Amino acid sequence: MSISEELKQSIRTNLKKVMDKGAEYVDARFYTHDDSETLLFYDGNLEANDTSFESGLGVRVLWGGAWGFAATSNPGEIENCFELARRNAETAARLMRLPLGMSKKPAHKSSFTSPVKTDPFTVPLKEKLDFLKAIDDRLTADWILKRFVYAEFQKKYSYFFNSEGTEVSKHLANVFAKMMVMALDNEGQMQRRSQDLFTTGKGTRGYEMLTQPELFSGHADRIKQELAELIKADSLEYGRRSVILLPGQGFLQVHETIGHPLELDRILGYELSYAGGSFVNLDSFGKLQYGSEKLNVSAFGGIANSPGSFGFDDEGSPERDYLLIDQGILVNALTSRPMIHEANEVAGRQVFADVSGGCARATAFYRAPIDRMTNVNILPGNDGTLEDIIASTEDGVVLDNPVSWSIGSNREHFHFGCEIAWEVKNGKKTRILKNPTYQGHTVEFYNSLSAVGDASTWQVWQVDNCGKGEPNQIMQLAHGVPAIRFDNVITGERK
Amino acid sequence: MIEQKIREIFCKVRDKAAARGICASFSLHREKSHLMRIGNNSVSLNTSENLCRLDVEVINGRQTGTHTQMGDISSVEYVEKALELAVEKARVASPKEYAPIPVVVEENVDESVQYDRALENVEPSFKGDGYQKIIQTVGEKYNFSGSWSSGSVELYLVSTENRNEAYHLGTDQDFNVVLKHPEKKWELINKQNGWRQSDFSADAAIKSFQNLLPFYEKVPGFKPEPGEYTVAFGAKALAEVLMMGSFTGFYGRGWEEKQGWTSKNQLGDKILGENFTLVDDPACEGTYRFGFDLAGKKRVKYPVVEKGVLKGLLYDNSTCARYNKPQTGHSTGSVSLTMLSGQDSEDMLAALKGKGRVLVIPALHYLNIPNSSKGIFTGSSRFNALLVEDGKVVSPIFSSRVTDTFASVFSNLSLVSSVNHSINLSNTYGRRAPVAYSVPSYIVAEKVKITDSADSF
Ligand SMILES: [Zn+2]
Repeated sequence: MSISEELKQSIRTNLKKVMDKGAEYVDARFYTHDDSETLLFYDGNLEANDTSFESGLGVRVLWGGAWGFAATSNPGEIENCFELARRNAETAARLMRLPLGMSKKPAHKSSFTSPVKTDPFTVPLKEKLDFLKAIDDRLTADWILKRFVYAEFQKKYSYFFNSEGTEVSKHLANVFAKMMVMALDNEGQMQRRSQDLFTTGKGTRGYEMLTQPELFSGHADRIKQELAELIKADSLEYGRRSVILLPGQGFLQVHETIGHPLELDRILGYELSYAGGSFVNLDSFGKLQYGSEKLNVSAFGGIANSPGSFGFDDEGSPERDYLLIDQGILVNALTSRPMIHEANEVAGRQVFADVSGGCARATAFYRAPIDRMTNVNILPGNDGTLEDIIASTEDGVVLDNPVSWSIGSNREHFHFGCEIAWEVKNGKKTRILKNPTYQGHTVEFYNSLSAVGDASTWQVWQVDNCGKGEPNQIMQLAHGVPAIRFDNVITGERK
Repeated sequence: MIEQKIREIFCKVRDKAAARGICASFSLHREKSHLMRIGNNSVSLNTSENLCRLDVEVINGRQTGTHTQMGDISSVEYVEKALELAVEKARVASPKEYAPIPVVVEENVDESVQYDRALENVEPSFKGDGYQKIIQTVGEKYNFSGSWSSGSVELYLVSTENRNEAYHLGTDQDFNVVLKHPEKKWELINKQNGWRQSDFSADAAIKSFQNLLPFYEKVPGFKPEPGEYTVAFGAKALAEVLMMGSFTGFYGRGWEEKQGWTSKNQLGDKILGENFTLVDDPACEGTYRFGFDLAGKKRVKYPVVEKGVLKGLLYDNSTCARYNKPQTGHSTGSVSLTMLSGQDSEDMLAALKGKGRVLVIPALHYLNIPNSSKGIFTGSSRFNALLVEDGKVVSPIFSSRVTDTFASVFSNLSLVSSVNHSINLSNTYGRRAPVAYSVPSYIVAEKVKITDSADSF
C-alpha cells in the first residue's frame, strides 16, 4: 500500500501552514507500513507466532532554535499533530541557550527500496514454520537442555516530506534470525552456543537471505559440536594475553567502543542523562590516535545487504561511504544535519564539512530522528587469513559471540563476556575454554591492535536491537568486521 | 477514560467470536505520553505521542497466534479484521507439546488508584520551568541534561472465556536531571518518580546538588584499586541490581530451565542474608500498582524472598502452561517489586560512622550479567559516587567497575536503611509500561569486588 495523493497533499499543506506561522524548518514522516513478524521455536514449541502492524504520522518542527515533535496513530488527527509539534517547539524555545539550526539544502525527490527477491510477508506462514522447524530438529539432542531458533521479518514503508521541498519514499526490508543451544556443564552452569543470520554484504534482503545455508542454517551442526566440547571445558584463567576476535564478537566490540562514542549527538552531550557521553571531543578529530596504524574504520551506508543501508536517512540526506578512523587517527563522526551545524557553532570553526553523514534515523513514525550508526566497519587488513593470525600468536585466545557487555558511560572502558574461547599457544589453536571474559580501556585497547585479517575473514553482522535516545529507540544496523587481534589484554576474572 | 463505545465494540466482537467457538482475548493499550529532553542547558526535544494498540490472541487447541494493530478502535470491523489475522495464524501454527492457558479475566476490575489528571495533561511549560529553575539556581556554569517522561496508560482486557472486563488507568512520571562539570567531567544526578504531578519538586533536585557540589568541587577523584570493599549502594543502584537479580533468579521460566543463579535451589532454601526480604505487593504505593496481569489473573501480595529464604517464583502464563504450574499473576513484561526496609538510620552518613572506608555508589551504569548461572553482575559507578571514611565524605570516586554475585552482595548486608525510596525502572521502548521498585534508600554490603577503575569520572 502506498500513500494516497490526498494524504500527501494534506501533509504538504500542513507543512506550509506551520512554516507560514514562523517555523524555521519542518519535516514529516508518514508510515503506511511498519510491519513485523516474529516466529520463535523454543524447545520445539512455537512460542511466538506474532505479527504487528503500525502506521501513523510523526512531525518535527524547528521553531525559535528549538525542536518540537508530535506523533499520532490516528489519520484523522493530522492537522492537530502538526500544531502540537509546533507548540512543543515553541515551548522548548523558552529554555534554549544556543539556537539549533539546519543549514539549507537543495530539495530533491528520491526513493529507495531494499533489494528483495521474495518479500517474507508473502511467503506462506506454513513454509516459514517448516523452515525453522527443520533447523530446530537439527539442534535437538538428548543432552541439549534448551534450544531456540527464531526469525524476525520487518517491512517499513515510509514517506518523508520537508519544508525545503524534499520528498523521499522508502521501502525497507529486514530479516533477522538466531539459533541457540544450551546445556549444563560439569559444574552445573549453563553454557551456550549460538549463530546469528549474518551476511557477506553482497546479495539481497528478502526471505532468500534467510534460506541460504551458509549464512544461517548450515551452522546448526557446528554450534552443537562446539557446545558438546564447551560443557567439558575448563574456565579461562585470569591473565594478560592476546585476544583474537572473530566477526561474531568483533562486531559488538566495534559497535560499543567505536560506533557509540563517535555519534556526534553523544559527543555534544545530548545522551548524557541516558546512554552517556563520549571520551571523544570536538578537538579529538584529526588528532586522536584512536588505535594502531592497522585500524581503518568506515561508516558505509551503501553495503548492499545490510539493515544499516537505507538510501536516505530520516532527514532526507543520502547515505555515504566515509572514513571515521584513518590508519588509527580519528577523522570523522557519525553525523546528521543539525548536529554538524551545532558542532561547528560550538567549536567556532568548521570541525565537520557541511555534508550530513546520513545518520539521522528514527525507530518508528512516533519517534524523532537522532544520530545512529549506519554500517560502522573495520576495513580488511593485510595480516592474512584467520589461520595466519593464529599462527603468529604466541599466547592468546580466539573469542566468539557475546554473552554480556558493560561499557563505561563515556565508552572509555568496557567488559565483555563471550560464549566460547579457543586457547592459542605458540601459533596453534589448542583447547576450548568456557566463561571467557575480557576487559580494557578503549584507546589503549585499539592501540594494541596487532593484526587485521584479510577480506576472507570479513563478515557483516547485523544488529537488530541497538538502544539509544529518550524516548528510547531501537535501531537496526550492521558491522562489517574482519578477524582482529589485540595484545596484552586482561582476560578472565580474578579469583 | 475509555469510551463506552470502545467497550461495546470489544464486547460485541468477543461475544461473536465466542459464539463461533473461537478462544480469543482482546486487549487495548492506549497511551498519552509526553517527554521533554534537556541537553546543554536547553530543551533538546519536546515530544508528544498519542498511540493506541489492539492486541488479539487466539488459541486453537495447542496452536496459538497473536496480532497487534496500531490505530484507533473505530469499529467492530476494525477489531474483527485483527481477529481474523490471529485466527488464521493460529490455524496454521505448529501445535505445542503442551496446552496453552487461555486468558481468563478472573473478575471485573475498574481501577484508577494511581491516576492524576493533572499529570496526564501536564503542560510542557511546567517541565521547562522546572528545569529552568534548577539550572538558574544551581548555576549556568555547569552543563545540565536530563529527561522527564510522563503520561497515562489505559489497559482494557476481555476474553471469550467469560463476560468479565478488566480496566486499568494510571499515570506515571520519571524525572531526571544530570549536572556535569564541563572541564572536570564529573556527573551528578537527581531522579524523581511518582504518579502525581505534585510528586515533582525542583527544590529537592536543587538541594541534592547543593549538598554534593562542595565535595566534587574541592576534592580530586579517588581511584580504588581492584579488590574487596565495603560498598554502600544507593536506591537507584540497588533497584537496578535487584531487577537484574530477579530476572535471572526469581522468574519461574529461568528457574524451571536451570538458567539462573537460583536453579540449584528449591523453595524454602536459604539463599540470601537474614536482612533481605523481597515481595511483590500490588498495594505498595512505591510501585506502579496493577490489580490484574495480562492473562486476566488478579494480582495479590506474593512473597519472593523472606529473610533470605526463597519463598516464591514469578510465573508467566506460558511457563505455567508448559511446566504445569499455578498462575501467580506475573504474565506481564516487568513486575514492580518491593525490598523491605531494615533498621538502620535514614541518614546514611550517620549510619556509616565506625564503618571505616566505604565506597558509596548510588547508581551503576550499564549493568549486565556475564554469568547467569553464577549470578555474576557487572556495571560501573557513575553519578554521585563518594569515598566515605567513618561517616565523613573524603572525595568523589572515579568510574569504577563492580563485578560480583547477587548471592554474595545480598548475603553480606551489614546495614539496610529504614526508609524506602521508589525508583522508576520503566523504559520507553515501544509501549508505555510503568515499572518501579520500592527499595531501601541505601544498603551496605561487605566484601564487594571492584574489578577495574578509570583515571577519570
Ligand atoms: Zn547500540
